[in-house]
Amino acid sequence: MTRSRSEIVAWVGSNVVPHEADLRARLRRLGVPEDEVSDVVQDAYLKITRLEDVSHIDSGRAYFFTAARNAWLERIRHDRVVRIDSMSSYEGLDVMDDVPGPERQAWARVELQRVRDHIEALPERCKTIFKLRRIEGLSYREIADRLGVAERTVSSDASRGLKRLMNAIAGDARDEPGKAGSSVPSAADTRSEETP
Amino acid sequence: MNRLVDDIAADWAIRRDAGALDAAEAVELDAWLAEDPRRAGALLRAEAMLALATRAIGLPGASAPDNGTGREHETPAQRSDRWMARPFGRRLLLGGGAGALAASVAGVLFLGPASGVEIETAIGEVRRVPLADGSTAAINTDSRLRVAINDKFRRIELDQGEAFFEVAHDKARPFTVAAGRVRVRAVGTAFSVRRRGDGAEILVTEGVVETWVDGYEGSKTRIAAGGRSFVSERPAPIEVAAAPQQIDRALAWRSGELALNGESLGYAVAELNRYNGRKVEVVGDDLAGEPLVGYFRTGDPETFAEAAASLTGARVETEGAVIRIRR
Repeated sequence: MTRSRSEIVAWVGSNVVPHEADLRARLRRLGVPEDEVSDVVQDAYLKITRLEDVSHIDSGRAYFFTAARNAWLERIRHDRVVRIDSMSSYEGLDVMDDVPGPERQAWARVELQRVRDHIEALPERCKTIFKLRRIEGLSYREIADRLGVAERTVSSDASRGLKRLMNAIAGDARDEPGKAGSSVPSAADTRSEETP
Repeated sequence: MNRLVDDIAADWAIRRDAGALDAAEAVELDAWLAEDPRRAGALLRAEAMLALATRAIGLPGASAPDNGTGREHETPAQRSDRWMARPFGRRLLLGGGAGALAASVAGVLFLGPASGVEIETAIGEVRRVPLADGSTAAINTDSRLRVAINDKFRRIELDQGEAFFEVAHDKARPFTVAAGRVRVRAVGTAFSVRRRGDGAEILVTEGVVETWVDGYEGSKTRIAAGGRSFVSERPAPIEVAAAPQQIDRALAWRSGELALNGESLGYAVAELNRYNGRKVEVVGDDLAGEPLVGYFRTGDPETFAEAAASLTGARVETEGAVIRIRR
């Protein structure tokens, strides 16, 4: 990992990831099929991966939505199946960045608190490992020693925790039955059957 | 399929976080990435999620001992703090604006009823109107307001409905909205006022406003960015709630949308009916209580009804001008 990549990763974490749930909701609302939403989101991240530098980007949200819009457009052009409503749907991604700046910032702080809440909601051992790693900076080996479990258990729990966090941050509760909020129907629940 | 890609990306993010990959692992990762360019995007996403979580956990309140091992993973929080410095810097500027507001409040007299320009919106119409002082008003469906702007004051009378104001900064001319007997005053601020029942609902997205009920100036209460309040014309203590996310959703009408995050179908229909001559009805309290999530177009009751019905396992019946959702 070069230094600039880790800077981009940190920037994406602070300025792009918090808008992912919004982007997914917007894509669904525009009629993008559930199984393609994740593709478009990954494509949008891919476009950011190719950046050498991010310091010229004022709004991570605007950049992210534009990247998603372009990814969706490319998809429509190359797609085997062109849906009737797909042309109007990419236009819907244009009005993304009409949220005034300060409103967005206040929201970003709330979002950080939400991420913290997601961390608190992790299973106990996942959470402990996460904190020992992130806050105290222990290696997985050291964490394994402290908890008296195998190092492999630590990294698999860390993985499990990250996956849960990613789903929670993406606003996608499909993999977490029984969690608060899962009783709320989402478009995803009705639109497509699970295709693992 | 892609759920799987995201999961594998998470595994790789953790493996990279655990330390430098050995040669075999590096080859394995390269091979995985090479299969589909999108996977590089998925990996960035997973690592950025980890960075965000690290940043969140590094907030005040979480203990963060500095044991300076120089590991790469310990710096993302600090790095992202640097990236976040810009937006928070702007917040500080807003704080300064609030101070200026406080300074200007003293000595402003109550201004009598104003005549001036009248603006009305039809049902379903949302209008953005520039005002003479450089401020703008976004006026929601079925609303009526009067604008009086001169060199001493800027005054809006909201006779009906809802409007969102982005106020041009001008200390010399206070910007006051009168909604019945409820008053809201700002200097350079963005906020909305909606007449509702026996009072007005106020949402502030930027800066600070001051609100009170005419005749009860002693009850003046400030609402800062991210705050909302319902101010009743009946004198009662004014309560302010911090709800930045709700405000974001409540103002979705500015782009022709109704944003729902678990609100009931009954509430959604009442909101939607503000915008359309064709009314939607829900049959049955059980059905009206069903929670909904999503963005809907305010001007398209048929599509809304179809979507709501399919989400709640109901069906749609159309009878004349009425669209009925029932089980």
